Amino acid sequence: MARMKFLCDSDRCIECNACVTACKNEHEVPWGINRRRVVTLNDGMPGEKSISMACMHCTDAPCAAVCPVDCFYTTADGVVLHSKELCIGCGYCFYACPFGAPQYPNTTNFGGRGKMDKCTFCAGGPEEDMTMVEYHGYGTNRLAEGKLPLCAEMCSTRALLAGDGDIIADIYKERVVRRGYGSGAWGWSTAYKNDRAV
Amino acid sequence: MLVKRRSGTAQRTSLAATVAASTIAGTGQIDRRGFLRNSGLAAGGMAALGALPFATVRKAEAGAVDPDIEVTRRKSICTHCSVGCTVIAEVQNGVWVGQEPGWDSPISQGTHCAKGASVRELTKGERRNKYPVKLENGEWKRITWDQAIEEIGNKLLEIREKSGPDSVFWLGSAKFSNEGAYLYRKFAALWGTNTVDHQARICHSTTVAGVANTWGYGAMTNSYNDIQNAKALMIIGGNPAEAHPVSMQHMLRAKEHNRAPFIVIDPRFTRTAAHATDYIRIRPGTDIPVIWGMLWHIFENGWEDKEYIRQRVYGMDEIRAEVKKWNPEEVERVAGVPGDQLRKAAETMAKNKPSTLIWCMGATQKTVGTANVRAFSIFQLALGNIGVEGGGANIYRGHSNVQGATDMGLDVTSLPSYYGLAEGAWRHWARVWDVDYEWLKGRFGSKALMETKGIPTTRWFDAVLAKPGELEQPNNIKAFVTFGHGGNTVTRMPEMRRGLEALELLVVVDPHPTTFASVSDRKNGTYILPACTQFELAGCRAASNRSLQWSDAVVPPIFESKDDYETMYLLARKLGFAEQLFKHITVDGTKPRAEDILREINRGALATGYTGQSPERLKAHMDNQADFDKITMRATKGPCAGDYYGLPWPCWGTPEMKHPGSAVLYDTSKHVMDGGLTFRARFGIERNGVSLLADGSYSKGSEITDGYPEFTMAVLRKLGWDGDLTPDEMSVINAIGGDNVDQVSWMTDLSMGIIRVALKHGCVPHGNAKARAVAWNLPDPVPIHREPLYTPRRDLIAQYPAMDDRRDFRMTQLGKSVQARDVSKDFPIILTSGRLVEYEGGGEETRSNPWLAELQQTMFVEVNTQDAERLGIRHKSDVWVYGPEYNSKARVMAFVTNRVGQGVAFMPFHFSGHWEGVDQRSKYPPGTDPIVLGAPVNAVMTYGYDPVTFMQETKVTLCRIEPA
Amino acid sequence: MTSFLGKLFPAILMAVFLLTTAPAAYAQLDQRVSPASPSTKEEVELYEQLQGKLSGYVSIPDGKLATLVQPEGREWRDFRNYYGRIISAVMMLGMLALLGVFYLFRGKIRIAAGRAGRTVTRFMPIDRFAHWLTATSFMILALTGLVLSFGRPLLIPVIGHEAFTALSTYGKYSHNFLSFPFVLGVLLMLVLWIKDNIPEKADITWIKQGGGFLNNGSHPEAGRFNAGQKMIFWTIILGGLAMAVSGYMLMFPFYLTGVGGMQISHIVHLLGTAVMVSVIFGHIYIGTVGMEGAFDAMGNGEVDLNWAREHHAGWLKTQGISTDTRDGPSKVPTGGGPVPGLGQHAGAD
Repeated sequence: MARMKFLCDSDRCIECNACVTACKNEHEVPWGINRRRVVTLNDGMPGEKSISMACMHCTDAPCAAVCPVDCFYTTADGVVLHSKELCIGCGYCFYACPFGAPQYPNTTNFGGRGKMDKCTFCAGGPEEDMTMVEYHGYGTNRLAEGKLPLCAEMCSTRALLAGDGDIIADIYKERVVRRGYGSGAWGWSTAYKNDRAV
Repeated sequence: MLVKRRSGTAQRTSLAATVAASTIAGTGQIDRRGFLRNSGLAAGGMAALGALPFATVRKAEAGAVDPDIEVTRRKSICTHCSVGCTVIAEVQNGVWVGQEPGWDSPISQGTHCAKGASVRELTKGERRNKYPVKLENGEWKRITWDQAIEEIGNKLLEIREKSGPDSVFWLGSAKFSNEGAYLYRKFAALWGTNTVDHQARICHSTTVAGVANTWGYGAMTNSYNDIQNAKALMIIGGNPAEAHPVSMQHMLRAKEHNRAPFIVIDPRFTRTAAHATDYIRIRPGTDIPVIWGMLWHIFENGWEDKEYIRQRVYGMDEIRAEVKKWNPEEVERVAGVPGDQLRKAAETMAKNKPSTLIWCMGATQKTVGTANVRAFSIFQLALGNIGVEGGGANIYRGHSNVQGATDMGLDVTSLPSYYGLAEGAWRHWARVWDVDYEWLKGRFGSKALMETKGIPTTRWFDAVLAKPGELEQPNNIKAFVTFGHGGNTVTRMPEMRRGLEALELLVVVDPHPTTFASVSDRKNGTYILPACTQFELAGCRAASNRSLQWSDAVVPPIFESKDDYETMYLLARKLGFAEQLFKHITVDGTKPRAEDILREINRGALATGYTGQSPERLKAHMDNQADFDKITMRATKGPCAGDYYGLPWPCWGTPEMKHPGSAVLYDTSKHVMDGGLTFRARFGIERNGVSLLADGSYSKGSEITDGYPEFTMAVLRKLGWDGDLTPDEMSVINAIGGDNVDQVSWMTDLSMGIIRVALKHGCVPHGNAKARAVAWNLPDPVPIHREPLYTPRRDLIAQYPAMDDRRDFRMTQLGKSVQARDVSKDFPIILTSGRLVEYEGGGEETRSNPWLAELQQTMFVEVNTQDAERLGIRHKSDVWVYGPEYNSKARVMAFVTNRVGQGVAFMPFHFSGHWEGVDQRSKYPPGTDPIVLGAPVNAVMTYGYDPVTFMQETKVTLCRIEPA
Repeated sequence: MTSFLGKLFPAILMAVFLLTTAPAAYAQLDQRVSPASPSTKEEVELYEQLQGKLSGYVSIPDGKLATLVQPEGREWRDFRNYYGRIISAVMMLGMLALLGVFYLFRGKIRIAAGRAGRTVTRFMPIDRFAHWLTATSFMILALTGLVLSFGRPLLIPVIGHEAFTALSTYGKYSHNFLSFPFVLGVLLMLVLWIKDNIPEKADITWIKQGGGFLNNGSHPEAGRFNAGQKMIFWTIILGGLAMAVSGYMLMFPFYLTGVGGMQISHIVHLLGTAVMVSVIFGHIYIGTVGMEGAFDAMGNGEVDLNWAREHHAGWLKTQGISTDTRDGPSKVPTGGGPVPGLGQHAGAD
């Protein structure tokens, strides 16, 4: 079975935000919920690098570990999903997440932030695949349709790669060898350190 | 632990089930997707449903959920820039419900930028104009289309009667399809004026003028894809990472695959510069010194391509003389660039050939725009990079069809296909349109006005406010009809507001109200007609690389909006010339057929080779995108085998001649029937005793192995090739030529026989000439540096003065007299402007799209860290930016960064809706106000126009910034 | 533990600093590049060893999204799932065990002189209201809080996910809403009792003598509140305020701080819980099974005279009552009614 991962090649990323709006478009993500965003390091200075970031679907996911109600689960593809039926909106996953992935509809309302929402790797949720219920809760389920996340599919410079970790790592490595430079796979050491071949 | 179920059957076609549902958890909102799921419009009747008007679909109420509703896929082209990315739309019951990557597109290969990935929102259109409205005593009032057309038409006819046809300014759009642009130009011609313009005026008019005057055609010579063949790239005055993001994939591939050096020259450390191997910061407005400074090293070291220059370039010696002045010391003094930095860049470009030069509006939107473009062109000619794969002048056009709209003559200086405005041009198009030339002439104020350039969009308000006698036309502009054009994209907005208020009639035809409708204090005489987007009509658009891409309507026009063709039809019918306008164009009810318009273009646009691109061929290209190579853009198999994608013009002759289009302009290494081309013989055959024709250079397979003039009957006869013409062709030529058949040229021969014969002999119909390093017909035949009108370097003015005050385009143009006023003490900071990736143009459309608006919510000014410290400006605090004219000011957020150099500030230009610190949201018609508003940069941008095209200066002025 | 916190807090403080001084301050990005020119795929480094927090610029006006990687999350996770649970479990269970042992060893502390049968008013209704307001809300807050901390390992296996989510959802709402009465109660107690809880010399004696708990018959003299009660008072006041501050930070997330501050708030909240629950265990023990006559103080406000003489002689003196148990009830000055307590004095002052 594939182990799904994201890899952002920061030497390619131009902060065009296609990944961000593709995500909004595909899942009708409301204003204020940012399942994906592009962060620019050293903005406006030599060494400027932009990295598209969303849930990395970590191995041994911190969000899942700290969740008081145990609403997370990992699919056979290694995608970390959660059940909005179970989520109580406590915010713990955001504190634990190294990548700032979890989002809440009401970040500041008294008492309730609403159900957590985050990148699903376009794999829907615990409801039956490709149903309206699933779409309402989590957005489309592209994986079930044999497609990959739209953010990566639409990336303007093919900076954002999504798919089986080995395959995208290979694509990236070939690219780095061909061009002679690379800045590594952002976040991988944090997200997948347990996957690492020793 | 829960375990995710997986349906093992992964198939792309089972999409229907997924795209059906509609809300995101927690919001409780149901959008059209979900609504349609419940609409009970079951599968089966999809073909019929697809055509169902939107209003009907909306009324359908909830019904049984059918997860198997079928999805129709429609292919269109993104409307946001000239790259031309393919959009795959998934449509259910006449509603656009999903967007998929257009993998097969040779240009975009599935990708998008933020704008392209969000275009589906345009047909949700929550904030679009939904029905016609008019302003009555300052209140917006809903009216019917019939009432709107009736009232507008009557007022226009009244103005025409009273003040003449030149008192109406017809502003078109670079977002029009080719058919729309062509129809609008023809519309203006039949109305009787040349005052018809569009965004090209304010983006690349100087490029068109500059390169056309150098080698024949005003267009990008190569293509985005071809950049992958480059061994070195140099970008000057362009920020493709934000303005043309998808082009960056081709550029970065060149950088990676060829290990090509990637040089960025810009006053601002742009997102593009972040990916450069070499970044050169220059003072704004010093492009020519920088280019001449590089050429100085090239000539000094003998790195130029001498044989190429000998064979194919006229007048390079005069350039050498000018370049001689720009030694490294002088360049550093003027532009602030160290000599060795330029030497390295020059050497890189000269020694890694083919090397390509890319430019955009940083170079063109200048008082010296045309001269800049000419200098760039000459630089590439010196290196022999023009007409070479991987080389070229890759000029990134702006809007989705700004190239096509320019080609269609949506321009105050020309009829379609760059025929100009002389009598011969009018007679040619009168023949194409099948209207009587005399009747056409009668529509104009006079024959002189008919053959005089109109008033451009950068100056229309000056023509509204002009004092008697200032204009070379009978009356001022009284009415302004604008289709698809932002109102905040032209400088000197305080003056424009006055102009708006002085108009008798303002008609905005647009999906959004635009700044025109909201910025002034007009109380009456203002109409907004809802136009649909290009996703709601059929037609073709030219990408920057001259490829024509056909797109079908994804959905029918939403709400009460109408497509451009229909609106023009309704107006023409009211104004009394619909019969002539649509003489050979089928009109179904009130809806003109796009295919017929294109066929008329094919019949008449000989000069640019817009003739082989029949609707059928273009549609076949879209249907078989996968057959095209992703670098050469040539189809290797399938029904389009041999064609270049989108039949990039020139695509000579009739569609039946099967010319493949020309992927790389002026490429002599290919046969003309393979897309080979020579420099166009457009400027005569000799000057001062020196031949202007190519010397020993010719396209592959040419039977004439030297330069030759453009083809006319006289030339054919001299060559003895006139016998190749068929009797049918001869009869057409005879009919056109009358008693002077020899004068009939490839450009006027509607039978296309002359073109056919030239191609048959391997010759290019437009002749084979040298490119002109010296363009004697321009104000500066050899490009020279001129300090901007508002410059902090007063010390350089004596040596590099602005142009003298002069007259053109029916009005005065100031130069020296503006420059003479020294404001640099009170306004010490250079202000420049540019783009953000999330927004496009005036930004009304993109700022209304929540998916984009969320990403840029505040207008800002970038201020250098040291300037900010000196001025006491804190990051993200509000500041006032004051301009040196009209006491103008804008309140914006300060963004303190070293992205701009010391003494330079930058503002994006997509914002509008604030005026002098006051929010103007209430002035928009209810429900149409964009989500994000902000101060327009052009409120503080100042006077300054290119002498050739009246391009506005948006890149260099002066300002003062103070904490608010 | 100390090394963990030693690592964690500077990191978090750094994070808070960065977030509060951002965005002008950009986190330092080390310009690491993989092997200068990798010639084989094996040389390509995928797993960069990122050190510390990576923060940048994001155009969305949501500052916390500008953080690209926050490794502190890992440490917070360790605390939440491991150290925090161990610390609080050890403290709470340890206290229970201690009390159990104490009870076995010492048994219920009786009133040495037996009940006098006559009472003095120790707490006025307002005092008792403040106490019980705080006490009941505290109990629910503690329980609902502990559900979030320990429910996953302890309750989910028993009641299942759905029921547990329902429980924690209501628990969360109760927790949020009951914070207000709790804080009110704490503030009320602060106002009512601070005067009698200022540490004094006698407290040292009291502590030296172990409050007289360890051996029968020894009753170090104490005022209205003995040192032990004062400690409880200050634990509740200071702990309660810490819980309130950290709790409201959690309830209104990211108003005042970034994710680092949120993590600190949570840690403070959890440690506070452990401390307060443990102390309250002791308090409840003494107030109920641990000591005869103690519950009456908060039960009906009336304490037995002899209980008061033994435990709060100093206080009784200020009431003008003999502290000698042999004096019997006849010495109570006022004929019928209860002896006015301090509450009244406070009111009159």
